[in-house]
Amino acid sequence: MSPATARVLTRVLRWLLVTIAVVWSALPFYWMLRTSVAPAGEVFFDGISPLPTGVTADNYLRAWTTARLGSAMATGTVVVVAILALQLLTCVPAAYAFAKLRFRGRNLVYGLVLAALLVPVQATAVPTFLVLSRLELVNTLPSLILPFATSAFGIFLIRQFIVTIPDSLLEAARMDGLSQLRILLTIVVPVCRPAILTFALFSVFVHWNDYLWPLLVARDPHLHTPPLALAVFNSTDLQPDYGAYTAAAAVVTMPILVLFLFARRRFVAGLSGGEIVG
Amino acid sequence: MAIPATVREPRTATPSRAKTPRRRPSDARAALAFIAPALLFVALWTYLPAALSFAASFFQIPLAGNTWTFAGLSNYASIIADGDVHQAAWNTVLYCVLSIVPSVALGLGGALLIDAAGRGQGVLSALLFLPLTANLVAMAVVFEWLFAFNGGLANQALGLAGVGPVNFLGEPATALPTVAVVGVWRAASFCMVFFMAGLTTIPASLHEAAAMDGLRGWSKVRRVVLPALRPAVVLATVVATLQTVQIFDAVRVMTDGGPGGASESILTLMWRIGFGYFQLGGAAALSFLLLVVLLVVGVLRRRAVLRGAS
Repeated sequence: MSPATARVLTRVLRWLLVTIAVVWSALPFYWMLRTSVAPAGEVFFDGISPLPTGVTADNYLRAWTTARLGSAMATGTVVVVAILALQLLTCVPAAYAFAKLRFRGRNLVYGLVLAALLVPVQATAVPTFLVLSRLELVNTLPSLILPFATSAFGIFLIRQFIVTIPDSLLEAARMDGLSQLRILLTIVVPVCRPAILTFALFSVFVHWNDYLWPLLVARDPHLHTPPLALAVFNSTDLQPDYGAYTAAAAVVTMPILVLFLFARRRFVAGLSGGEIVG
Repeated sequence: MAIPATVREPRTATPSRAKTPRRRPSDARAALAFIAPALLFVALWTYLPAALSFAASFFQIPLAGNTWTFAGLSNYASIIADGDVHQAAWNTVLYCVLSIVPSVALGLGGALLIDAAGRGQGVLSALLFLPLTANLVAMAVVFEWLFAFNGGLANQALGLAGVGPVNFLGEPATALPTVAVVGVWRAASFCMVFFMAGLTTIPASLHEAAAMDGLRGWSKVRRVVLPALRPAVVLATVVATLQTVQIFDAVRVMTDGGPGGASESILTLMWRIGFGYFQLGGAAALSFLLLVVLLVVGVLRRRAVLRGAS
């Protein structure tokens, strides 16, 4: 085999592998969108047709009203924003204190926070439910938010960034008579904005997609978050309505997909940061 | 918080002192105020539940949760004797066996393809990272449709080959492997992240040395790149294991553990015992056992991370 043929063969093989990889990762998304816009009676077709014969919004309208997607999207947004606000309020000051302030027992307390990273949410779901049930908070909006009011991962990620701020900068501010709170708000927060953004993407991703926890505490349909509303919708009908199911799935997927397309690098870094560094 | 005049540094402090900040009383007070909220919530939502899951596992607890009846080791005894638990534990092992190797291998393959892509790198990595963005409930709904008995794409394709149709999610033999496909689809792109990160850590000198030795293409991958990625392989394996042991969303949406418990995982069974049969003590016992297993895997992960970093 001449070198030229070998080169052509390698190139063909690589294109083949790339095609297989792209089909594998994108096909479920494509099939979701394809089914969601297909006219009724077009969903069950004979033979594989990659494109639907027409495009309709009927499935989306049916899914939106039957699955109460409007209410679910609103609840999901409130929950995700409230969790993120609480996490930033608790994580950023703590991260600054662990990174730059000197106090007795700092390493011990930071170690306790890091150890919490090892305890997965799924394994503490039942006892957390017991705590909330004792506080009579089950089936309320706070029960969807409060258990995630702080994040050990957030403290860790933001602290890693604050450590790299030069001490001389903070010392100069202190000599100008700034209080620690002013230093935190006017110097630390603006400087560590990249870390805060990375963490925010991670937090929004995790809590928008969470299914197990809302399933435990949200009995009232008004409290259903998007994944829970979708799962309930998907399990109700005896006659499966795949057009509407995939439309609802597309609606639930879309906000995160848009975040990913706009901030891909930071998004991937946020999802993997916890695993790569800590 | 105002700094008392007595401890404020003079404006004329020497640079050498500024470089090594001393411990200041005002710092300690600010630090306390800064860490107290976070610490309170970590204690309330991590340490208290972890301790409670141990304590609750010795009690009979109704769903209202206000009267606990001491039950000794009976929760553990019934969990350990429960055939459903055995099946769910065995199924979870099967999920791991079926998922981990394909996830790591596909993730590695994807990363190598992106690395070799040249100009199209951005587009290709965006496409291959798509599964990372997926909502697992939404994707479980889509995969349920892809593998549907009537009109599902998989059965359409098999039909062209003259096979089937196969009731993928309705038969005990195929339900678990079919659910595992969703796990692999998602975990593979997660693993890819670690391999991409691993590829960037390969020093330029190593690439130059490979070029000097005339290594190109596949021989370079095999002799230079793969050995350098060994820490990433360990890390990806541990992460894929952690994700698979906790499989829940896809099982509950696609089969709800069925048919006849054939695809039940530990977490879906924990949910069923606690919130289907209202035995919160039993669910606590099961989640404590799970916590112990996950802590062991978590410690292994930390080791892998530390070894990868050094």
